[in-house]
Amino acid sequence: MAGPITRGHRIDVDVAQLGRTYKVPVREAGLRAAARSLVRREHREVQAVTELSFAIEPGEVVGFLGPNGAGKTTTLKMLTGLLHPSAGRARVLGHEPSRRDREFLGRITLVMGNRNQLQWDLPVVDSFEMNRAIFGIARPDFERMRDELVELLEIGHLVTKPVRNLSLGERMKAEIAGSLLHRPQVLFLDEPTIGLDVTMQKRIRTFLAAYNARYGATVMLTSHYMADVTALCRRVIVIHHGRLLYDGPLHELAERFETAKTIGVTLADPGRDLSGYGEVLSVDGARVRLRVARAEASAVASRLLAEVQPTDLTIEDPPIDDVIERVFATPDGSRSALPDDGHHG
Amino acid sequence: MAAHPDTTAPPPGSPHGLARPDRVRRRDVVRTLFGVSALNELQYRVNFFLQLFESLVALATAVAVVALVFLYTPTLGGWAPWELMVVVGVHTALGGVIRAVIQPSMQLLMEDIQEGKLDFALTKPIDAQLLVSLRRITVWPLVDVVVGLGVVVVAALQSDVSVPLAGALIFPVALALGAVMIYCLWLIITTGAFWVIRMEHVAELFNGLYQAGRWPTGLFPGWLRTIFTVLVPLAFAVTLPSEILTGRAGLLALGGAALFAVGLVAFTRWFWRLGIRNYAGASA
Repeated sequence: MAGPITRGHRIDVDVAQLGRTYKVPVREAGLRAAARSLVRREHREVQAVTELSFAIEPGEVVGFLGPNGAGKTTTLKMLTGLLHPSAGRARVLGHEPSRRDREFLGRITLVMGNRNQLQWDLPVVDSFEMNRAIFGIARPDFERMRDELVELLEIGHLVTKPVRNLSLGERMKAEIAGSLLHRPQVLFLDEPTIGLDVTMQKRIRTFLAAYNARYGATVMLTSHYMADVTALCRRVIVIHHGRLLYDGPLHELAERFETAKTIGVTLADPGRDLSGYGEVLSVDGARVRLRVARAEASAVASRLLAEVQPTDLTIEDPPIDDVIERVFATPDGSRSALPDDGHHG
Repeated sequence: MAAHPDTTAPPPGSPHGLARPDRVRRRDVVRTLFGVSALNELQYRVNFFLQLFESLVALATAVAVVALVFLYTPTLGGWAPWELMVVVGVHTALGGVIRAVIQPSMQLLMEDIQEGKLDFALTKPIDAQLLVSLRRITVWPLVDVVVGLGVVVVAALQSDVSVPLAGALIFPVALALGAVMIYCLWLIITTGAFWVIRMEHVAELFNGLYQAGRWPTGLFPGWLRTIFTVLVPLAFAVTLPSEILTGRAGLLALGGAALFAVGLVAFTRWFWRLGIRNYAGASA
């Protein structure tokens, strides 16, 4: 039932030196090259994921971050048995995903924000019914879980409508409900809130938090919306160019990658020039935001308090979106920022 | 967000399902799918009348062609007019099975392979071939099955058709084997989409070839007969049931067809798995 025991902990997702190489055909532009490629195809190997290692404990909600093409989806596909790794090893709930054991598939779920798996022409409830049959869920369990999900996601009025008549947000909620009917232990969510409006994103976030709290399910989540990550994940795994860049608590991400802090000052005498203290980011009436080097933040703040005597002063990390942008701007192959151990919170 | 499992909630380590054996779940999936599809389509009763109209027009056309041929000859390659109507009936009935059960799921499969959406079928704890083969069912073309079998019965009752008792008994088996072979052919062609992306026209190509099944394959020249036996098994699918019902073929031929079907099923399964492995990049 449980995953492997490692150093006294149960591990739900265990990835060691995982790698995946794609073989892509290459040819130069032009008719001659096209003709030549018919006879002899030349291939180039693309490393989508390289030497990726991490472990996720039961009940953890981990944000899996990286820019487009970083290898996030490739990794999720290897963890759900859709792709065979070219190197290394992946174990989920003690199973090797690529074997696609039925026992394993019955305990995980995969939700992709830009794809739908409900039957397009059928009412949502009928797709739920199909999943009941596929997962072999006993009728009373199915009905209890279905009603609970319908209530939590507030989709009671939607489930009798054909999927094609639903809005994107409604469809996503129905997708999520359908994917959880078998009460999976490990959830792989690939951009579950993509394209949704802010309210709907928030509702899905709240739901995922509630589901995790109720069932102690392990969640691995990718999202381009940092609000999803900050609301749900204490721990983040960041990959870039297929390599692990950071694995640790979300709040330490800024400390590792961000060299600056933001000081907010509310002036008693608006209009005063503060450019001598740091880079002025914005001036909004009496409120001025300054960017200063991380190491000097407290010294600058003390000087400001003594010399400018503001009515209010705050020291903050830059917005997480800015931090992430900075992380992704790390040059290819730079592993200087890599933590020496895979510690996580 | 840390997990604080609710004590009233069932432990996450005990998912609902999979306690049932695969066989039970497979049966349940098939039943649920047919039930759900039928219930949904039954809401659109006007489709029934449209389909009935279409079936009758198609049948009338087929009858007219047969009648036209027999204006000029009393028999065609040894087939009397009503015997040929048996072939027309079998062809219509199998055509209904194709359009109701086989073609819709195969087209969905082709789209999913092309758009990379097969992932969901492959992450379900059930035989993926079964799931992709039965995902979409349209009920109304089954009218063709009823109409086709009606034609077979009417034709078999005519005085110029003599139906041996054994023939009548094994006819349904031959028909079922025919449906299985056509399914295999469709799945083999569709699985090709794992390697060759543009397969849209294959459905039209197949339907074009299937039209040739209106005539007993014995009427065609040798090389075409070989194609219709081995490559596109119309000989086994349409002609053989008709031959069995009209006393032209017996148990031996049925045994041959059964052997061919078993081989084809095995090959199809192997080819499908190869396609899946290619999709997952196991060989890369």
